[in-house]
Amino acid sequence: MEKELENLKEALRNELAETKKEADILNVKSKYVGKKSRIFELLSDLKNMSVDDKRKYGSLMNVTKKEMEMMVSDALENLDSQSSNLFDDTIEFEKELGSLHPITIVAKEVTDILKRMGFTVVSGHEMETEYYNFEALNIPKDHPARDMQDTYYLDNGMLLRTQTSGDQIHSMERFGAPLRICSPGRTFRNEDLDANHENTFFQIEGMVIDEGISIGNLMYVMKLVLSEVLKQEVDIRLRPGFFPFTEPSYEMDISCTICGGSGCPTCKNSGWIELIPGGMVHPNVLRSGGIDPDKYNGFAFGIGLTRLAMMKYKINDIRILNSGDIRYLENFRID
Amino acid sequence: MLLSCNKLKTYIKDADKIDWLKIWDLFTIRTAEVESVVEVGNSFDGVVVAEIKECVPHPDSDHMHILKVDCGEDELRQIVCGAPNVRVGLKTALVKVGGHIDGIEITARPLRGVKSYGMCCSGRELSISENHEGILELDSDAPVGLDIKKYLPIEDIIVEIDNKSLTNRPDLWGSYGIAREICAISGHELLPLLLEDVKNDKEDLDIVIKNEDLCSRYCGLKIENVLNNKTPLDMQIFLHYVGMRSISLIVDLTNYLMLELGQPMHAFDARVVKSIEVGNALDKDVFTTLDGEKRELNHDVLMIKNKDEYFGIAGIMGGLDSEILEDTTTLFLESANFNAGNIRKSAVYLGLRTEASARYEKSLDPNMTDVAIKRFLYLLREYNKDLVVASNLTDIYPKPLKDGRINLTKEKLHTYMGIKLSDEDVVKILESLGFQVNVCDMYYDVLVPTFRHTKDIHIEEDLIEEIARIYGLEKIEATPLKLELTVKELDTIFNQEYEVKRLLALKYNMREVHSYMWYDTELLRTLGIEKEGVKLLGKKENNVLRDDLSFSLLNIVKRNFKNYEQFKIFEIGTVIEHNANKRVLSIIWAGENKKVVDYYMEAKEVVQSLFSALKNKDVCFEENVNEKDYFDKNLGKVIKVDGVKIGELNVFMKNLTNKIHKKREVVAVDIDMDTYVTLEKELRVAKNVSKYPTVDLDYTILMKDKKYSDLKEALKGFKSSIIKNYRLIGVYEDKYTIRYTVGSDTKTLEQNDLAKFKDRMIDYIRENGLDILE
Repeated sequence: MEKELENLKEALRNELAETKKEADILNVKSKYVGKKSRIFELLSDLKNMSVDDKRKYGSLMNVTKKEMEMMVSDALENLDSQSSNLFDDTIEFEKELGSLHPITIVAKEVTDILKRMGFTVVSGHEMETEYYNFEALNIPKDHPARDMQDTYYLDNGMLLRTQTSGDQIHSMERFGAPLRICSPGRTFRNEDLDANHENTFFQIEGMVIDEGISIGNLMYVMKLVLSEVLKQEVDIRLRPGFFPFTEPSYEMDISCTICGGSGCPTCKNSGWIELIPGGMVHPNVLRSGGIDPDKYNGFAFGIGLTRLAMMKYKINDIRILNSGDIRYLENFRID
Repeated sequence: MLLSCNKLKTYIKDADKIDWLKIWDLFTIRTAEVESVVEVGNSFDGVVVAEIKECVPHPDSDHMHILKVDCGEDELRQIVCGAPNVRVGLKTALVKVGGHIDGIEITARPLRGVKSYGMCCSGRELSISENHEGILELDSDAPVGLDIKKYLPIEDIIVEIDNKSLTNRPDLWGSYGIAREICAISGHELLPLLLEDVKNDKEDLDIVIKNEDLCSRYCGLKIENVLNNKTPLDMQIFLHYVGMRSISLIVDLTNYLMLELGQPMHAFDARVVKSIEVGNALDKDVFTTLDGEKRELNHDVLMIKNKDEYFGIAGIMGGLDSEILEDTTTLFLESANFNAGNIRKSAVYLGLRTEASARYEKSLDPNMTDVAIKRFLYLLREYNKDLVVASNLTDIYPKPLKDGRINLTKEKLHTYMGIKLSDEDVVKILESLGFQVNVCDMYYDVLVPTFRHTKDIHIEEDLIEEIARIYGLEKIEATPLKLELTVKELDTIFNQEYEVKRLLALKYNMREVHSYMWYDTELLRTLGIEKEGVKLLGKKENNVLRDDLSFSLLNIVKRNFKNYEQFKIFEIGTVIEHNANKRVLSIIWAGENKKVVDYYMEAKEVVQSLFSALKNKDVCFEENVNEKDYFDKNLGKVIKVDGVKIGELNVFMKNLTNKIHKKREVVAVDIDMDTYVTLEKELRVAKNVSKYPTVDLDYTILMKDKKYSDLKEALKGFKSSIIKNYRLIGVYEDKYTIRYTVGSDTKTLEQNDLAKFKDRMIDYIRENGLDILE
């Protein structure tokens, strides 16, 4: 009897070892511990046995049955804890992801940095009056910048803005002093197109008005913005420049991002790339914006966002930016 | 502008102590951008002064000669030369055997059988002039055998300055002004210019200024007995290096003065010009300029004239009839000051920008006109000892420009620079630039010389710029801004636009594009559509500003159909509608015509999710009454939020899209972003969730000839306290399935509650003329 019970257990163990699916285990289960199983038969025969045998085998049989049931339930549980590697888990479909325009990405980066320094991002108008584009910015009537060759004048007496600088005036009028704004936006110059020239491009204007602003403040803000956008420490240098709306005016160069300043074709061997015009806000501009130049002063700058995007993404033909050609644009992602 | 360092050195004391190759790095960060620094005169070696002693025709050539030349050696050298100007006694430049020209070594070789031991050189061969008509003709006193580079100023450093960076510095349009800057930068002393004074003991010339606004000063001088009109070689070389053509001594000297002082001058032949009137031209008059071109004038163009006879266009170019000829010995010299704006306007009108007009455009100092004449006289006298000054230096100067005066507060200077400079430093810097300074307690009393006062320096900030740049901008320290702890966001448009863009790209895999502000004329032509609107002046093509963003994007759709079967793009941009800027978001679905329903449905979904995700607002689509023919009238929808129109959903007419690409369709959504950004984001308060379970009940309704909008309208009227929400969950043919989620806040619904609801629902649907599957 002991032997038989032992054999039953052994047989069950062997058959369970063969099973792979839940259904197989259930079959084995009914065979070994079901109503028609041998152990069931033995247990139902128990009542016919002598008292001695009953005592001898009763508990053994019951224990064996429990053990066998346990083996089955273990096998079932085991099945769920096994990896069900029943499909090709190496298949990959490429799901197309959308894309933002590189200018949008760079504009977001620059404005995020400026926002951390307390700048508000404002938005200006592309069709603008002569007053805001020129006059209020201390650009007199006979200034070359007003030429037809450079400016798109419109038949309604307005123009397409040649610079985002008009937003300096709008912002001073809207918010007064002290003030920290930046204004990313699209600007227009009447130019023939080639790989380096566009008639439609983006700038971001920046302006700070407060008491006691220094040239050093301007340098600090520029250095920080550029280092963060270009993801590398850049040096900047100021050179004298001339813009009617700032005095003093500066051309800001950054150390060449290609050669690091040692000289290469990109920087024409100078080690520097001319990037940002800026300077201290001209008193006449403050007056145009209704701000007292005896109390306040400030700085302003204009970063060429198109230029910056081209540097960052190593875009060698400016025309792809306004082409809408997905073959180029799909390469840019969302951040 | 090109500069010769040899020339600059002549104006500076101890100029050799300056490193003339390196100083330009400093110049770039102190003054103006240097484009290039090039050493010239190194294209040859082994060239000496030689004198032709014998000259016989070559027996086997019709133009060559066999020469015997003296180049300071024991014996004469035999040279074969083909130049026409060879003659005995001529001193010229000879490259000896072993010397090089443009990297090629000169060897002794036979020319038509006669050996030549070197080569006589033309100016062009030595890269010192354009002249290649004959060999160089040196002065008779040139020392034979001397290296030509020791005899002529051939070795030089030529520097190019970016003209644009000199826009605001009229004083830097001449070498003397540049030399002043170099002195300020390097701490050297500027030498005074050598001049010849005019005694003014003769008659004044007859000069009248008719238009004082356009000509603030006119100086004239008559000079007689100018017999030598040949430009010396060293001046020719200088002119060649800085990009000017040498013509004759008189003309070259006027150019030389312009390059030296920045003051354009003109010499008329005094046989033609006897008296001068400066006044405006008459419309449509025609005048022939020096270059032989006939030019039509207008009444804005200022002329140098006498009654009806024109001699020159003021400040731009002289006339052909009064030009200096070979036999000219008497000249009428002009040195004048003209209005910058007028010169620029006339130059643009005439399409004639000259070296002179480029300078006048910068607002030149009127106080240098007489200096230029005295300098001209000094230089002309060097080559014409016997010239005769035949008139007074006649000077018509109605309103003389005086030095400017600015009080620069020390505190302001300190604020801007962030550094405190000593009075000595400030005075030293300003004086080196030609300013006079009187140091007061709180400020500097600064006298601004007129050469900086025409338009450049007028206010304190202008002086701060001068001090900061000469002090050294690189010494100014980057200083962080102080930040107030309360920072208020004053404008949200940019960020709101960004949120929309990001949602479309991330959730709907769309591509952001940028397109031009104007309609593409060729596309309009292809589509046969005319667009009226605000126009760009002076342009014939691509000149109408867009008033419909999605329509203008068809240009980009067309381009991408070349490479893609379907795509989704969007742009947030400006259109001009009713003469005003308007921000618009356009989203375009473009692809095969069989997918148009999918596009249309996604368009609705995108609009809904845009407003629900970013504004917590519900959207409704209403029938569109679209004025535009190119949209399908039946499919167009007006998009409304809070009952106000905020955009449109449209499908382009097939007959239009067929012209772009066969069997493709384009669905477009336009959202008015100006309105969008003003929408307040709805606040959603926390909701109570019932502790009792809810049940989903699906009803399939047979629509027959009805649309969902009919069903939706009908369902609005079906009310029950246990409805949590209901929505369309599926459409199969004309069977629309609506799912109601029902539940109670007070109990678990029982079978009979649900049965009651169902019966009411079925009855309601049937009452409303629809059928329902039980």
